Amino acid sequence: MSLDRSPSPQRSGGWSSPGLTTPYDNGTSVSRSRGPSPSKRYGDLGNGGVTWASAKQSSARVNGYPSYQSRNQGFFSRHMRTLSQSLPIFSHGGQDERFAEKEKLGRGRTGRFSLMELPRRIGLLLSRRRRFTALLLGFLLLTLVWFSKPFSYAWRRNVGGGSKFVIILGANQGGGVMEWKGAREWAIERDSVKNKKKYAAEWGYDLEIIDMVTKKRYAHEWRESWEKVDAIRNTMKKYPDAEWFWWLDLNTFIMEPKISLQKHIFNNLAKNTYRDINRYNPLQIQHPPKGASAAGGDLGNYLDPDSLSAVGDGKPESINLIVPQDCTGFNLGSFFVRRSAWTDRLLDVWWDPVFYEQKHMDWEHKEQDALEYLYTNQPWVREHVAFVEQRKINAFPPGACGEDRGIPKGGCRALKIGDPLLECGVSGVHYQEKERDFFVNMAGCEWGRDCWGEIYNYRQLSNKLNRNPWEKFKDWISDTWNGHFHPKKDESQKT
Amino acid sequence: MAAGVQFPYPRKTSDSSASYPQQRSSPSRFSIKKLASYTLGIAALVWLVLWLFRSPATTSVVAPLGTPPVVIVTTIPPGLSEKHKAIIKENRLDYAKRHGYGTFFPNTTDYELAPGTPSTWSQVPALRHAMTLYPYTEWMWFLSSTALIMDPTKSLYTEILDPRKIESLMIVDRPVVPPDSVIKTFSHLKGERVKFILTQDKDGLADESMLIQTGDWAKFFLDGWYDPLYRSYNFQKAQRHALEHMVQWHGTVLAKMVLIGQRLMNGYAGEAPGAGQDGQYQSGDFVVNCFGCASDPKRSCDEEMAPYVKTWREATKQ
Repeated sequence: MSLDRSPSPQRSGGWSSPGLTTPYDNGTSVSRSRGPSPSKRYGDLGNGGVTWASAKQSSARVNGYPSYQSRNQGFFSRHMRTLSQSLPIFSHGGQDERFAEKEKLGRGRTGRFSLMELPRRIGLLLSRRRRFTALLLGFLLLTLVWFSKPFSYAWRRNVGGGSKFVIILGANQGGGVMEWKGAREWAIERDSVKNKKKYAAEWGYDLEIIDMVTKKRYAHEWRESWEKVDAIRNTMKKYPDAEWFWWLDLNTFIMEPKISLQKHIFNNLAKNTYRDINRYNPLQIQHPPKGASAAGGDLGNYLDPDSLSAVGDGKPESINLIVPQDCTGFNLGSFFVRRSAWTDRLLDVWWDPVFYEQKHMDWEHKEQDALEYLYTNQPWVREHVAFVEQRKINAFPPGACGEDRGIPKGGCRALKIGDPLLECGVSGVHYQEKERDFFVNMAGCEWGRDCWGEIYNYRQLSNKLNRNPWEKFKDWISDTWNGHFHPKKDESQKT
Repeated sequence: MAAGVQFPYPRKTSDSSASYPQQRSSPSRFSIKKLASYTLGIAALVWLVLWLFRSPATTSVVAPLGTPPVVIVTTIPPGLSEKHKAIIKENRLDYAKRHGYGTFFPNTTDYELAPGTPSTWSQVPALRHAMTLYPYTEWMWFLSSTALIMDPTKSLYTEILDPRKIESLMIVDRPVVPPDSVIKTFSHLKGERVKFILTQDKDGLADESMLIQTGDWAKFFLDGWYDPLYRSYNFQKAQRHALEHMVQWHGTVLAKMVLIGQRLMNGYAGEAPGAGQDGQYQSGDFVVNCFGCASDPKRSCDEEMAPYVKTWREATKQ
């Protein structure tokens, strides 16, 4: 757009802007109408020039008022004077000083202003009568903000460290390639995904859902189920700021969504995990690792002290992998892995064609067996692996791993030294409602058990356990009512 | 500042200037304020500096005085003649003494290899063992028992290990296994990130002379290399093929590895077959390697090494 003359003010006020409106002295009254946007022109053309805007403008012209007003438009411009006058003027020091300040007033009120006087000034602002109300209002506002979803999300994500965690959910197992995916499978997937989504949103974590559809790429190299490794690697690339990655199988359910991962495990990593495999060792892995020590033992075990130590260097910062152990060994249905050079290496060597060629008949659980193998045979792995009590992040439904031995009366806290452990401590495997276990994994339900039934029951149980007081009250009312007056109806509903 | 301002018109009050003395009349209060703000500012600055330059969670370990920067590791097969053993030990000890390096001479039988595993595998646990014995040493140099250091004046740091030097020496985009492996050495690698330096002969990676930087990566690399499933796999050339396999399948190994010219630290003696391009030892080179003299029953290491030993002894006299 080029101007053939410089824009000039028009008689009726405002400026002509070529390109938006037709030139000023251009015939009919219709084209004289000009507005801030060209959209009005369409109206002019379409309706033969009679629109509300053009009519208003022409009437304004008749009335003799300028169609373009630069003053007295808007609330602030009209009331600025009253508003600004009602504002308190900050006086500096004694009365006499005001005169000294006068010179400055014209150049903006930048007097000597110090932060130290701020509380006093705020105090001055609030007269004694208003002070109480203001305090109350401020408190209410803060409470509202604190409990508002977006605020708590942002707070938990950025200040609470939620952005350091990513949940990886392996969904769509097989993708319906190997077997038919029915309504139940879809329902399981929906429930499981919803549960994790809610949890991630509650605490400001990221959730990455991995499509584990059976891929030819993996089948060709005999490495189905190793896509777990690729998925973790890709997720690490996708979330470069996250530190911990929580892998979850699909048939799992977070039972206590009101507990954050930080509170549950990571705020006290040393207490919530154990590194000495001898504390619970269903695989009978030898520790310290036998580094094929010198013949006759005259050189001793040649590994370095950290590798020989049962706890690595003992510092929680050196933990890069947190794995639960069920009754038969490592379980990778729910585990944590931390971004580190060590992790890169582990993910890199986890699958190796030479290992696989020799072991694929033995390694029924594929990547899980491979990890156990690496842990057993390559000492560098041990230094950075920690274990976590199975029931903390990966509890099984009763009967999934031997008998549910139950917990002692009064819960695990009441356990005394010398008592049988039952389902408490490192060897505990099965979900305990009384202990309010955090997480449940319906591991192995696809082999002869009812996955959908299990996940449904646990969902209901989780909802019931996490009712708020009002819901509990309502349920109590309805239960009592049903119990007293409609016992039969209640039964018929259940069936 | 306002004290010096001249007013264009007379003030309303006659004694307006009284305000300034009044202000100055409480110097103690003023200076306390000033002092407080300065103290706060300085404290904040100190905190900021500390915060910016705080050491990371893992404090770097300072090597104690007297730690050798390099340890030369040579595994001694029991089959070598006593004369040969004595020469190679003397050769390395002399070199190490000149540069303040350490040495480590385990026997190949010192490590429990699985039954049927070639004894050459023992070089891998030997390196791991050396790392335990010298926890603060930065580099391990494995040198085969058939090799001889010919120029004892050359320092490993100035000749190879300096990051800028290694950048100039590294062979990039070279197939790891000649002639046509699809896996090639990295084309861009910073000298500081190099942790594994070796050479290549005609057949592939030459593990008879290699430099490994100690640390977590070295632990991973050596433990992985020494894996029982590799040892039991019957690679045709034992640990050498296992190494080639690792380098080609695992990017975390390849990413730290650098190939340099063979003559820089592994020139093959004239009798030894299989030298790579420009890989034959020439007079004045750092290291000579009578490659394969111990494993080939037709050859004699003692005979082959004799002329080189002579040259080396002359060099040490200077």
